[in-house]
Amino acid sequence: MSIKNTINHKGDFLSLLQHANYPLQVGLPSETQHHADIEIAHSTTVVAVRYRDGVMIAGDRRATAGTAVIYDRAEKVLRIDRHSVLAISGSPAIAYEIARILEHSFQYFRRSQLQELSLEGKLRMLSRLIRDNLAMALQGIGGVIPIFALYDLEAPEAKNGGKIFFYDALGAHFENVNFATTGSGSIWIRGVLRYLSRFGETPLQEMDERQATITILRLLDTASEYDAATSGYNARAQIFPTIKTVTRTGVESLSDENLTEAYAEAQPDADAV
Amino acid sequence: MRDEPYRWIEAIQDRRDYIEDQLRVGSPVVGLTYNEGMVLLTIGRGQRKIFEVHDRIALSAIGHPADIERLRMLVTDTASVQGFQNATEDVNLHRLTNFVLAHTFKQAFESIVGEAYIIKMLLAELGGTSEQNRFTGINYDGNVRTDAAFSVIGGTEAIETRMQNYLAAASEDADRTLAAALQLGLEAWAIGKELSSREAEDMESEDTEIDTEQMHEIINLAKEDGEIEAGVLETTQSGTSKFRLLETQEIETALP
Repeated sequence: MSIKNTINHKGDFLSLLQHANYPLQVGLPSETQHHADIEIAHSTTVVAVRYRDGVMIAGDRRATAGTAVIYDRAEKVLRIDRHSVLAISGSPAIAYEIARILEHSFQYFRRSQLQELSLEGKLRMLSRLIRDNLAMALQGIGGVIPIFALYDLEAPEAKNGGKIFFYDALGAHFENVNFATTGSGSIWIRGVLRYLSRFGETPLQEMDERQATITILRLLDTASEYDAATSGYNARAQIFPTIKTVTRTGVESLSDENLTEAYAEAQPDADAV
Repeated sequence: MRDEPYRWIEAIQDRRDYIEDQLRVGSPVVGLTYNEGMVLLTIGRGQRKIFEVHDRIALSAIGHPADIERLRMLVTDTASVQGFQNATEDVNLHRLTNFVLAHTFKQAFESIVGEAYIIKMLLAELGGTSEQNRFTGINYDGNVRTDAAFSVIGGTEAIETRMQNYLAAASEDADRTLAAALQLGLEAWAIGKELSSREAEDMESEDTEIDTEQMHEIINLAKEDGEIEAGVLETTQSGTSKFRLLETQEIETALP
């Protein structure tokens, strides 16, 4: 890149990448047929809930191909910037690329335009990346359906600024007020989430961090019980689900020590089962 | 004109005089390390002068705002593309200054029919350890200078030398806090500011010592119609991006 061919990208990282000849889309053979009826594979469980301090977002660690377990330490909950997290379900290659582009896009906007990209701007950016990936999604090989959680710093101090957004394969985004879950294991816990949010002894949105952690661990355990593509807690290898919190002070990952304690509380009789 | 070497040299000299004349009144920038990172600071009037380039690299400059903006974009774009195509760890200050900026500066300066950049740049890079922290200054003619503990850019070379000398004398304590770094940086800034308002010949004379009291007067005066601007690369910052602009209130409470 030299000063002569520098153009003003107005903070648009995709425009910058195109200018640098980075191939943004995977080329597909033209004769490939589009199978719109192919179900998008998304073997996993990711879940986000709004709790007292913001949003807690979690994912299991299993990666599968068909019925084979390929990897048991996959990270599906990715920090994008100081106040946002993306939880991915679907094709890992595309999902990681989307997360990486998203992270770099927000940074590029901030660095070049000298201000943070707005909340709405961040949501649109992710919509655009998912929409651009439609061809892959329709092939049944590259679909990605994420949950995007962030903390709105503009929210009044007294209010919970945590927000959860759910996307469809075409890139439309919807705000889920109290919870969201996606992936193959999600069908087993959606009803539970609704029940907890509406009728729970302590509603999800009033839970403190520990209560929310225990609830999430139990939800993932339930999903793993019925969905082969979702892993639970592997006590022998000490592999825990990934759990992150998004609050006014930023994104934090819960430590393994923290999770060990929460697990003891979540499943006091785990050894007996 | 290149066929006539004397005219070319003369043209370059004219260009140098012209650029230095424009830079002379620029508000200096001071860069210092402290116990938790590095700080760049200046006192400006509205126009922002301290910027984030990449995860561990910050930039500041004096000169014409349009030139600063153009070169800032060049280095930010280059770093962003490199950081994405390879990995963010592959972006480093040495490559950005030597392979991207220095020759751009030199080329513009020496192509006497084209426009010249009126600029002096100071970049900071937070290393993996404090010994690896680096400041790099780039002059309008493409000359690069690298320093470890502190660095400055000011209106003229003489001003910079005086500021550097002050910092060198006060710089035994490399483990200073951010508050101490801000204080020391502002004092050096005051020296630079005062000297740039004096005539060139005054500066050479012996009785130009500026005492601490005078420095504080200059700082207070500058604060009346300007604002202290400071950006830090801090090791304590979570995540990969280490840059942060300090809030006005943070600066105020840090200063006595």
